[in-house]
Amino acid sequence: MGKPRSHKAEKVLERLEKKLNRQIVMSLAACVHCGNCSSSCHYVLANPDDPTYQPSYKADQLRKLFKRHVDWTGRVIPWFVKAKSIYTDEELEELKDVVFGKCTNCRRCSINCPMGVDHATFNRMARGLLVSVGVMPEGVAVVSKDQWEIGNQMGVLKEDYLDTLEWMEEELQEELDIPDIKIPVDKMDCDVVYSINPREVKYDPRTIAEAAKIFHFAGENWTMPSEGWDMTNFGLFSGDDDLGGAVGRRLYEKTEELRGKKLVISECGHGYRSTRCEAPNWGKIDVPFVMESSVDTMLRYIKERKIKVDKNKNTERVTFHDSCNNARSCGLFEEPRELLNLVVTDFQEMYPNRTENYCCTGGGGAMSMSEYTPNRLKSAKIKAEQLKATGAKYVVTSCHNCVDGLTDLIKHYELDMKVTQLVNLVANALVIPEKVKEPEVEKVEVPVEAEAPAEAGDLAGRKILVVDDEPDILTFFSTVLEDNGATVIQASDGDEAIEKVRQEKPDLVTLDLNMPGKDGGQVFEFIRKDEELAETPVCIVTGRPELRRLIYDRPVPPPEGYLDKPVDEETLLRNVRKILAVG
Amino acid sequence: MSDALHFASHRLQEVALLIMAIVYTLRLRWILKFPAGKERQAPTGVGSLNPRGSIIYSWFNIAQPWAMESTRTKFFLYLQFVVFHVGVTVAIGLSFVIPYGPGLLEYSTIVLVIQVLCFAAFIVGIMRIIRRLGSKAMRVISSPDDYFAVLLLTVWFFFAALAAPNNYAAGEAALLTYFWLTAFFLIYVPFSKISHYLYYPFTRYYLGKTLGRRGVYPIVRGNK
Ligand code: SF4
Ligand code: SF4
Repeated sequence: MGKPRSHKAEKVLERLEKKLNRQIVMSLAACVHCGNCSSSCHYVLANPDDPTYQPSYKADQLRKLFKRHVDWTGRVIPWFVKAKSIYTDEELEELKDVVFGKCTNCRRCSINCPMGVDHATFNRMARGLLVSVGVMPEGVAVVSKDQWEIGNQMGVLKEDYLDTLEWMEEELQEELDIPDIKIPVDKMDCDVVYSINPREVKYDPRTIAEAAKIFHFAGENWTMPSEGWDMTNFGLFSGDDDLGGAVGRRLYEKTEELRGKKLVISECGHGYRSTRCEAPNWGKIDVPFVMESSVDTMLRYIKERKIKVDKNKNTERVTFHDSCNNARSCGLFEEPRELLNLVVTDFQEMYPNRTENYCCTGGGGAMSMSEYTPNRLKSAKIKAEQLKATGAKYVVTSCHNCVDGLTDLIKHYELDMKVTQLVNLVANALVIPEKVKEPEVEKVEVPVEAEAPAEAGDLAGRKILVVDDEPDILTFFSTVLEDNGATVIQASDGDEAIEKVRQEKPDLVTLDLNMPGKDGGQVFEFIRKDEELAETPVCIVTGRPELRRLIYDRPVPPPEGYLDKPVDEETLLRNVRKILAVG
Repeated sequence: MSDALHFASHRLQEVALLIMAIVYTLRLRWILKFPAGKERQAPTGVGSLNPRGSIIYSWFNIAQPWAMESTRTKFFLYLQFVVFHVGVTVAIGLSFVIPYGPGLLEYSTIVLVIQVLCFAAFIVGIMRIIRRLGSKAMRVISSPDDYFAVLLLTVWFFFAALAAPNNYAAGEAALLTYFWLTAFFLIYVPFSKISHYLYYPFTRYYLGKTLGRRGVYPIVRGNK
């Protein structure tokens, strides 16, 4: 009798053969263990003493199963080709740590393999096999569940999404003083249906407003869909083709329902790759309309003179990071550079770049797998060095995932740099036509207070509880807020925060997530569940973007604001004023 | 020429080739039984080649050491690769020349060229063995198949170099060893990593097809 095998291991082997296609079989069979790809991988470069990070070693953890059960030599003389089966759940867990924790599926080794072995593609397949038996990092399980059940990977409810669009519309109307600027929803027969990343709704709604501004001035006939708007696709990361196909189908069907002529995908590497390239394959769907990246759209507007830009509005030195999915899987690397050169004055390439650029290290869903964060940040050393050498003040990227990955590594390696996207730079460089700036209607006198910009002292009478375990941040926040008139109370851990919020009933709580004792998530849930305190506005402040979702997983209304550390004075005040509706 | 050498250089080679052809036919059938994925999406990227162009590019990527970072930055390893594979071609060719066109080997220059190439490949073989055994990173990824394959080829190159003059009158040992090794090699390769050359056109075909359609091939990088 053979060695007993766990139910999950049995299923993995059973499904392995079904998942194989010719491309993957050839990639699994063809590796000659030459080691040529090793120095292509950022994990190897950051861990020179650990040979288990080599792409071919990682690949062999799946390859040994293939050889033992599918290929012929491995079935007869397994020891000769290092073929090995899998028996226990512990072995599956080990495989999980390799395929999820040691590879971002960046495809850099694939383009550097002389044999044409596409490791990233079968690493994704291995992830899918494990996911099919429930072996996956917790973050992957949570996000996949949200995308299956709620329709987007951050669990954004429809009303929150629509509220955000409305809020952004109002902001734009106010900012530009153009009452008819709109963010249309579910408008039929548009030329452009614009799909976004839920991260934009949760943490960066500014990018939606800026895209809307660009569409408006380009005179575009556009809309956003009320459903099927999430162009991200966790199926790419989890290896679950069913999820990948289903998510793509939602977008395609909604676009068809709206009779949209083109689906424009906002700046997101994996979203673009999934929606534009992979989901038609996963879901076996022949998409009847055109799809393009918003980078192409913006570039076209400038080339066709639909919008005018002034590059002198963006004078700080910028560099460009290629998202792996955009560059190495979709060939999108010249267009962003062309666009960038039109909207900034000082663009400095990083090296290597384009198809040879290094991963931001947050790819492949790594940002949702907090158990591998230390490894990820260690491997980010390569990217950090690349960034630093440019001397740039901003790193631009066309990917929301990369924004998070880069922000995290910039903080970790203490680089003096910020991350931004093309949409922000284009919006900033936009030349607003004069006639639009001055509405023809007679100007109505408005009370001075309503139009006056926010100024020092405008937080007078507001009581703000600042919660953070880092003394520097407590001092910085308190000073800035007090200088602007607020009364500040401090708490340096979760328990103290709960005590103070009960006693003081503040008008706003700025809440750190990662703290000793009760963490920010628990404090937040306590506030929301307490009848008396539930309405207290909360602004989450964190240096670990991957923790943000822990807040949104709680069965309570979301926080009123979000800030990524490091926070500067201007950002802090802008957000506090917005939440408190001041100024 | 002894009967033993005649058998080893003729019948033995034919049988070995026949076995290899049968096994490879089965192998091809096995490969083709797996479905080929279909690319449904419209082409992306500005640099898209037509499908045929990108497949051809992919096949010949290895002949452009400047194209891949891995070959560009490790040029000495790339040179070793070239010498080693030229050696394989020459040593295989020799197994046809000796029985079917021995007249060619009457030209001493041709013999010398064959010997130099096989000997160079032999040296590279030794370097590869040292690399595989000496580097921790290489040991971790190596299997007995990897060691055996490089050892077999290295020894084979050595005997090919000795066999090249085809001077059986001076002694048949080298020729006999070379032909028996060649026969073993032909029968053994379909079961070992050496059959990677059979997979190469497939892996490269599919990678070229996908990456070409997506504008990733030909590889574009910015020069410093
Ligand atoms: S994946 Fe390619 S480059 Fe890497 S060891 Fe295998 S054959 Fe060599
Ligand atoms: S796909 Fe990227 S992260 Fe994964 S092994 Fe290859 S180079 Fe490394």
